[in-house]
Amino acid sequence: MSNQQPLGNFTHQDAPAYEDVLQCMRCGFCLPTCPTFALTGRERSSPRGRVALARAVAEGKLDFNQAMKDEAFFCLDCRACTTACPSGVKAGEVMEVCRAQAHQQLPAPKWQGSLRNLVLKKMVPNPDLMETSMLPARLYQKLGIQWLVRNSKILKLGPTWIDKAEGMLPQLHRPLRPQLPDLSPAKGEKRGTVAFFLGCVMTLLYPEVSRQTVKVLNHQGFDVITPKEQKCCGAPHLTEGDRETTREIAALNLDLFLDLEVDAIVTDCAGCGAALKEYEEILAEREDHERLHRFQQKIKDISEFLCEQGIRTEGLKPVDKSVTYHEPCHLCHAQGISKQPRELIKAIPGVEFREMKEASWCCGSAATFSLKFTQESQQILDRKLENVKKTGAEILVTGNPGCHLQLAWGLQQAQMPQPVLHITELLGLATPD
Amino acid sequence: MIAQSAMQQLEQALGKEKLVSAKEDLLVLGYDSTPGLHATPDLVVYPTSTEDVVKVVEVARDYRIPLTPRGSATGLSGGSIPINGGIVICLNRMNRILEIDEENLTATCEPGVVTLDLFNAVAEKGLFYPPDPGSQKISTLAGNVMEDAGGLRGLKYGVTRDYVMALTCVLADGSVIATGGKSVKDVAGYAFKDLLVGSEGTLGIITEITVKLIPPPQTKQTFLAYFDNIRTAGEAVSKIIAAKIIPSTMEIMDKATINCVEDYVGIGLPRQMAALLLIEVDGHPAVVAEEAEALKTILQQVGAAQVQQAKDAQDAMKLAEARRTALSALARVSPTTLLEDATVPRSKLADTFTLIEQLTEKYQLTVGTFGHAGDGNLHPTVLCDERNEDEMKRAHAFYDELYEQVLAWGGTVSGEHGIGIAKKGYLARQIGPGGVAVMRRIKSAFDPQGIMNPGKIFVSEQE
Repeated sequence: MSNQQPLGNFTHQDAPAYEDVLQCMRCGFCLPTCPTFALTGRERSSPRGRVALARAVAEGKLDFNQAMKDEAFFCLDCRACTTACPSGVKAGEVMEVCRAQAHQQLPAPKWQGSLRNLVLKKMVPNPDLMETSMLPARLYQKLGIQWLVRNSKILKLGPTWIDKAEGMLPQLHRPLRPQLPDLSPAKGEKRGTVAFFLGCVMTLLYPEVSRQTVKVLNHQGFDVITPKEQKCCGAPHLTEGDRETTREIAALNLDLFLDLEVDAIVTDCAGCGAALKEYEEILAEREDHERLHRFQQKIKDISEFLCEQGIRTEGLKPVDKSVTYHEPCHLCHAQGISKQPRELIKAIPGVEFREMKEASWCCGSAATFSLKFTQESQQILDRKLENVKKTGAEILVTGNPGCHLQLAWGLQQAQMPQPVLHITELLGLATPD
Repeated sequence: MIAQSAMQQLEQALGKEKLVSAKEDLLVLGYDSTPGLHATPDLVVYPTSTEDVVKVVEVARDYRIPLTPRGSATGLSGGSIPINGGIVICLNRMNRILEIDEENLTATCEPGVVTLDLFNAVAEKGLFYPPDPGSQKISTLAGNVMEDAGGLRGLKYGVTRDYVMALTCVLADGSVIATGGKSVKDVAGYAFKDLLVGSEGTLGIITEITVKLIPPPQTKQTFLAYFDNIRTAGEAVSKIIAAKIIPSTMEIMDKATINCVEDYVGIGLPRQMAALLLIEVDGHPAVVAEEAEALKTILQQVGAAQVQQAKDAQDAMKLAEARRTALSALARVSPTTLLEDATVPRSKLADTFTLIEQLTEKYQLTVGTFGHAGDGNLHPTVLCDERNEDEMKRAHAFYDELYEQVLAWGGTVSGEHGIGIAKKGYLARQIGPGGVAVMRRIKSAFDPQGIMNPGKIFVSEQE
């Protein structure tokens, strides 16, 4: 998406291609699918409006101004509009690129910029640092400070996002990456070998979920290789508009995983899967096309992979529960994976599957959106919880840690009884140890 | 520019939160789905009641400010584009369904109700609102009424006009008229309601709509017929009509459209075929069975290459959904998509297809044609690039020549999209100076100052 000549009022680096915005024919099919348009009713907060703004910048009719920046970050990047758009416009991706423009053209105050650089460029790319940084949070829970803080309601005095962030924190366990063996062997008749791409949020906040992923893969007959040198997928950097760091990390992951003799590279994080599948585009100008394509072909979300291989149901224990499913945006819209998780759920003996209304409507998590726009995020979440409630299901299943955090927090706040389970946790319940 | 004092009055009357004047908002509230047309309003207002609309009209009247009504801006002739600037009056916050009257089989709605929302709401009560324009998922009811929108079911069930029973409308002087009602028959004086339907916002602003509902068909059957030659498909349509079968839907797609749609939805449409007809018959099971048989016989007689029947309702819906994506799927192919709305008497369909093929060749263009074959309503769509001036000239020459022949055959320059800005010239050709003069007189009777959606339908005397 970069040009030799600067395009209108975009800078040269990381600008949208003119074709990408020109392609919008303004048919409006995206409007009913956009959560921020549903909230505000404002055209500029709709995919069609956002693309029109980007086009105005590209044509020199509008400066890359604060409003453009606001819309780039107010977009959930849920990609529901991409699914709905028959003309092939990718408004979410255009907004992602506009976030990179925002950092070039409207830089944040210096202290914010330094903090952002520290987190995105130093911390996130370095798994050891990330794991160490979680230690205080674990102690915070272990030593009972969390109990004190929550009961004293001291956080109500600060900005709402701090209170929410603290409230979202699940019960923490030791990060999974250092614990997993390099090779977890298949059980029963072996069907193949996969590499496990372990997302940052999964290993840090949901290590026990990913442990289930490995257990399920093993039980289904797959050797699981977990390369310890793997980096973050780069999605947080894309979301925040730091495309250069994404490219650096992506190149490292590409080399690391392509060296492995595996049938597939599996992840249980929808956000990671979507980002990994986009390496082909992100690294297009730097890497050999054949290698990129080979990498892209190997990336599989866990649901996608298990469905392709066919799930072995013999030996599965029944799970006598009613289950509903929330589709993570980065699974259904970004990767087009929608049927597979449902098929897996239905394959588990004893499970009664109940479809919810608007299953593919965003939950309002959307990376840091839920903390930046707490009120709007809450409204989007409420709509989701209402649809969960109507199903009367006992368990809510999803497949992405961002959604998981948001939904678990929302259900707890609304005093609803359903636990949130990752799809591999549900499969894990059915899988013997 | 809007005078400072007018702005103050509007702020006082409506409250600040209903007015929008930031540059970024104005930039995105001056387009619809018509290619190449864009204008910037000076102000956008979001009324939430008829009273709000009256207040806006009063200020516009006193200060002679142009007023352009807007729903979801999915129009295809530029009807909601504020070409003279002024105020865009955005009606999509007035989106409540006020009543579904099961005794009289009517529904009463605010103007901004989304078409499909109304369809779903009445379906829950076992009723049916047939008009289904391509954009029904987001188009608004008032937009449908003002453009007299059609859709896939037009052939058997008619268009929006056939369902409008009553309208409340704010006129240019700020007065409010209610016309029509729930009575099935009504011949009291001039039929203002019928004049307002399809008036494209040039006579007044609708603030309430009552539509007729009907019981839904008990059953339906869906067929896909493929043809090696598009002319044969045209002949099939005429033969079916001549056999006195009125399908609820009879849609056509040519080869280019089939391929674009297949690229998008991937449901296994055969890419090598020259054309396909999507045909639906609905009604009483016995009648549907009889018509389905007759249909198959006719299709075989005219020489359809292949006839397929939808397995079940889901399968049928998939086919109809695929047809709905035709326009946008064509739009994937090129940056600019010019869409027209030529409509001919059905006996001329086959000739029209031949003509489109000839003109495509003559002007060296890429054209995809689809549309409501059963209505004789075609959408020949030129896939082009607005940056290529020469190509754009050829595209316009293509339409000029096409319309000349369409009019010679007794057709019309717009079947369902309206005239708006895009087709003013063509309308003048169709109805002549006498027709335009009468329209102008009607317009000035309703709107002597010319503030209601100026610059639409016909060239005004001031221009």
